[in-house]
Amino acid sequence: MRQKLFAALASIGIALGMGALILLLEGRQPFEVYGALVALSLGDADKLAVTLKNAVPLVLTGLSASLAFASGPVNLGQPGQFLMGALAATLVGLSIDLPAPLMAPLLMGAALAGGALWAGVAALLRHAFNMSEFIVTLMLNSIADLFTAWLITIGGPLAEAGALSPRSPAIASGGRLGDIGAFNISIVVMALAAGAIGYVFHRTRPGYEWRMAGQNTLFARLGGCPVNRNFFIVMLLSGALAGLAGGLLVMAGPYRFIRGIGANYAWDGVMIAVVANSALGATVGYGLFFAALQTGALGMELLTAVPSEFIQVLQAVIVLVSVAGRGYLSALLDRLALRRLTRPSLDTRADTARR
Amino acid sequence: MSDFIALRHITKTFPPNVIALDDVSVSFETGEIHAVVGENGAGKSTLMKVLYGLLRADRGEIALHGRPVQFSSANDAIAAGIGMVHQEILLIPEYTVWQNVVLGAEPRTRWGALDSRRAREAVRAKIAAFGFNLDPDAPVGQISIAARQKVEILKLLYRDVSVLILDEPTAVLTPLEVPQLFEELRRLRAGGKTILFISHHLDEVLELSDRVTVLRRGRKVDTVAAGSTSKAELARMMVGRDVLFAGRPAVHAPGEVVFRAEGVSARDDKHISRLREVTLEVRAGEIVGIAGVEGNGQFELVNVIIGLIQPAAGALSVNGHDLTHASILERRRHIAFVAQDRSRMGASLSASIAENAIMTHHRLNETFARRRWRLDMQQAAAFATRVREQFAVAMSRPDQPFRALSGGNQQKVILGRELLLDRPFLLLDQPTRGLDVGSTEYVREQMLRQRDAGRAILLISSDLEELFSLADRIAVMHRGEIVADIPTAHTSLEQVGYWMLQGREPAPA
Repeated sequence: MRQKLFAALASIGIALGMGALILLLEGRQPFEVYGALVALSLGDADKLAVTLKNAVPLVLTGLSASLAFASGPVNLGQPGQFLMGALAATLVGLSIDLPAPLMAPLLMGAALAGGALWAGVAALLRHAFNMSEFIVTLMLNSIADLFTAWLITIGGPLAEAGALSPRSPAIASGGRLGDIGAFNISIVVMALAAGAIGYVFHRTRPGYEWRMAGQNTLFARLGGCPVNRNFFIVMLLSGALAGLAGGLLVMAGPYRFIRGIGANYAWDGVMIAVVANSALGATVGYGLFFAALQTGALGMELLTAVPSEFIQVLQAVIVLVSVAGRGYLSALLDRLALRRLTRPSLDTRADTARR
Repeated sequence: MSDFIALRHITKTFPPNVIALDDVSVSFETGEIHAVVGENGAGKSTLMKVLYGLLRADRGEIALHGRPVQFSSANDAIAAGIGMVHQEILLIPEYTVWQNVVLGAEPRTRWGALDSRRAREAVRAKIAAFGFNLDPDAPVGQISIAARQKVEILKLLYRDVSVLILDEPTAVLTPLEVPQLFEELRRLRAGGKTILFISHHLDEVLELSDRVTVLRRGRKVDTVAAGSTSKAELARMMVGRDVLFAGRPAVHAPGEVVFRAEGVSARDDKHISRLREVTLEVRAGEIVGIAGVEGNGQFELVNVIIGLIQPAAGALSVNGHDLTHASILERRRHIAFVAQDRSRMGASLSASIAENAIMTHHRLNETFARRRWRLDMQQAAAFATRVREQFAVAMSRPDQPFRALSGGNQQKVILGRELLLDRPFLLLDQPTRGLDVGSTEYVREQMLRQRDAGRAILLISSDLEELFSLADRIAVMHRGEIVADIPTAHTSLEQVGYWMLQGREPAPA
């Protein structure tokens, strides 16, 4: 555990060093740039609040991918499930108007269901026709993307009358998430969801079966675990997390479905899961870290004139260094540990030889 | 005699924490058969790989005829006259015997093309010189495993090596093929070759070799003359304590029928018939052994019983419960199961010991099943500790990763897990495969104890001696059928071997 944390920090350090080299080659001051990055993402409570709010979709889609990868299903449908969750929340928010304490949970439920159903399509197709969920979830992404785009296109069934850009009308006010102090309520929801999924995964019988099946399906199956049913459940749950990310984005931000609402959140989430090696805790950690980078990027551009695209370069370097370095670093640390292990025995041998 | 090869103070470590060889010095003489024995993980294969240039030692030196040498690859070793036959046979099945033998060292014509005539002639000459019974023109894909092993040896002889290293050469052979291999190895020794061979089987070691080197946990215990030692002494050196070899089971009367398979047939996914109307009964307090050359339906039989394959016909039951179409979980209420492949079927190597120990218990054992939802990891750890204490597992903490355990300890955890399920029927598929002497002895003892406690045991094993020392009855499988089912007392190793190969009664002499 300590070794893993050390390896993660070392990778990030190396990546930042490589980023600094790139900056130097461009004639910039790395310390100034990194300083601006930190100041503008974590500098004060307001900035921290923005970072955390930006982390919500990253962490939730990251957890969606990590949960699936660690349990076996290869769910790469986070972008589609995200959009369907956002759509479901929007639809319910447009058709019902209740006071906030009822409305907010209802919309979140709709978002969870929207994502779960979209993932469920892939799970069903696998169950019925043995189609690989890997391909199907990817295909469903395009369908969700084009379907939601059609709905809100000017003149489309869900488009706001008279709007100049493709977007839906705004949802009822009860479904909008406010702030507690500087912090948006969606952050609390994210924390609760992450805690719940962590508990289920590590402390319950179903979670145990999912983990074992993710590591060795045949072992779990022979041990009596209902692996097919578990596959289904994990797919639904993974889809629900991505859907929740979409729903919360609608409820915390523009309060409506707008073109391009999914941005690149879901793919970033998959990337985070890969960097975190599908560990849930690490997924949350990297999600927050990447959110800080992305949040700081905009301010960095203003302050230091370094283009915000530099952050994409930095992200890519972090991914490459930590994924490529994972095997190498732990081998190196193992080697160091072994050296400590063998040295005393050699010393005693030298002693006996002297005697 | 001269020290032909001397290994001096060899130390080899593998990260993260394995010291495979610790200051090992051993010498080999010209024209001897020298066995290297030891338990799994004792360092036998590592030592041979260091000699053969596949691994580089951290410390120590190798001397050939008194001159220090350094091999950085197998090619260096072969050029110096040292060749190794690995456990896995690596030949091209479509090529003929002579083509496989010359591959990589082909004689060339003046124009640089393969000189087939000369190559074939050279191989044929080697076959004749060493008296091998091989057809140089037979495609390797069509000859037996034993013959393929000969081709591997021939490859080295063709390259004029003077030292042959054989890594568990008898592991892939049937009992009838072993004496022939030994005959050929003795002939090679008479021709001046030095033979180093690695083995688990002490009987073979004593029969074949001139000297024996015993390794234990990476250290050399001793090198002794085979003529002046005994099986018990070698075993004691290997394990570090006295080892009891399980004898014939005590005579006892088996009870009611527990497990019954009736006319079970199964096909594989290409619709080829793999099991044909297998009928088998196992009674309480009885061990029934399944013998057979690998690939004759044993694996399919196991899979049908445990529920990985649906039978095309027939019925299965335990204590009258019909399990023919039951779910795996339902079967596991009646069947304890040790799979032949630990890492693929029996465990998750990356999970912790505790997580591996509670599999199946997490649903069927009172302690865990009482709660529908929560899984108490402290209870799991306590359970793993119970397995450790009852089954003598050498481990430090239940949250250690399973892969940190040695093979023998992994098998003890799996066996303990299954025995603690306390089921009437035990399905044990190669439960001692790949285990060292000490662990094998332990697993066998447990089997006998379970039998005496009234369990019905079906034991699938490719080790005939194991079947003969444990089973009350032996059923022989040949091409998916049970061709013989007889009390162990009324048959012999030779007879069962014949059945395994021919699928019928030996003709009266």
